[in-house]
Amino acid sequence: MSATTEPPRPAPRAWTTRLRERWLEELPPEKLLPDGQPSYVSSWIYVLGVLSLSSLVVIIATGTILALKGPNWWHDTGLGHFFNSMHLWAVELFFFFMVVHLWGSFWTAAWRGGRRRVWMTGAVTFLIAIPCALTGYVSQQNFDSQWISTQAKDAMNSVGIGAFFNLMNFGQMYSYHVFLLPLAVVGIVGVHLLLVRKHGVVPPFERDLLAAVAAGSADADGTAAASPAVHTDGEQSA
Amino acid sequence: MAAIFNLNHPASYIHWLFIDVSVSNVLVVVVMFAVFAAAILLPFPHGHSNSAKEDQ
Repeated sequence: MSATTEPPRPAPRAWTTRLRERWLEELPPEKLLPDGQPSYVSSWIYVLGVLSLSSLVVIIATGTILALKGPNWWHDTGLGHFFNSMHLWAVELFFFFMVVHLWGSFWTAAWRGGRRRVWMTGAVTFLIAIPCALTGYVSQQNFDSQWISTQAKDAMNSVGIGAFFNLMNFGQMYSYHVFLLPLAVVGIVGVHLLLVRKHGVVPPFERDLLAAVAAGSADADGTAAASPAVHTDGEQSA
Repeated sequence: MAAIFNLNHPASYIHWLFIDVSVSNVLVVVVMFAVFAAAILLPFPHGHSNSAKEDQ
């Protein structure tokens, strides 16, 4: 009996190895934490996203403190009022900045160049933030929240989804407000940020078109495919 | 301490066809448009550059 000489099989790779390699391929460290940004990012319109994110950080921080201390504290003490107000105004600013950021992204067609998921995660964040705020308004434990919850309950019933949510059930609304919906918002915002890092900030129309024309890939309607070149030239320090 | 704005009265509303919106909300929307326009039009201060190709 002769011994067969089979080529050695490659050692099976662990799922952690495959995940790490995939991560490094999709989002290498220099993309995740870049040294600079393209020169076209030097515009106030690109600051709105960071302002939205900053507001979200304040919302989570103040909301955590409010959750730890409870309704009596936020209604009956000066410091509680202060944190309650901080939480409210951070939410107001979050929506303010997020909507202006959304306008800027819409009018620059920020889904260009394979950035569809960046746009979609941003839009979904906005949609989830709305019930997140609503459940906060009905969790205040005051006359305001009673009024809003009865009105919102009628609104839910009128659109046929009243069987799934009871706006007058404080426990249910509070769970949605402090756990489920914030988890969704923070999770999707995290994915949104990673996608922005992966694809880079969308370039202005003129720059995108020029790069596409240079590469000979402009479509008949003037839309252009993503051009990695425009992401790297003209960099400046962050 | 007196509030900066006296809120001890019913809110003023604007009624136009089917649209019913408080004056304060209209003001917020106006400010949002103003911030959007300012963000596009105002020059951005240029910081330290690490690339000679910045203005290309």
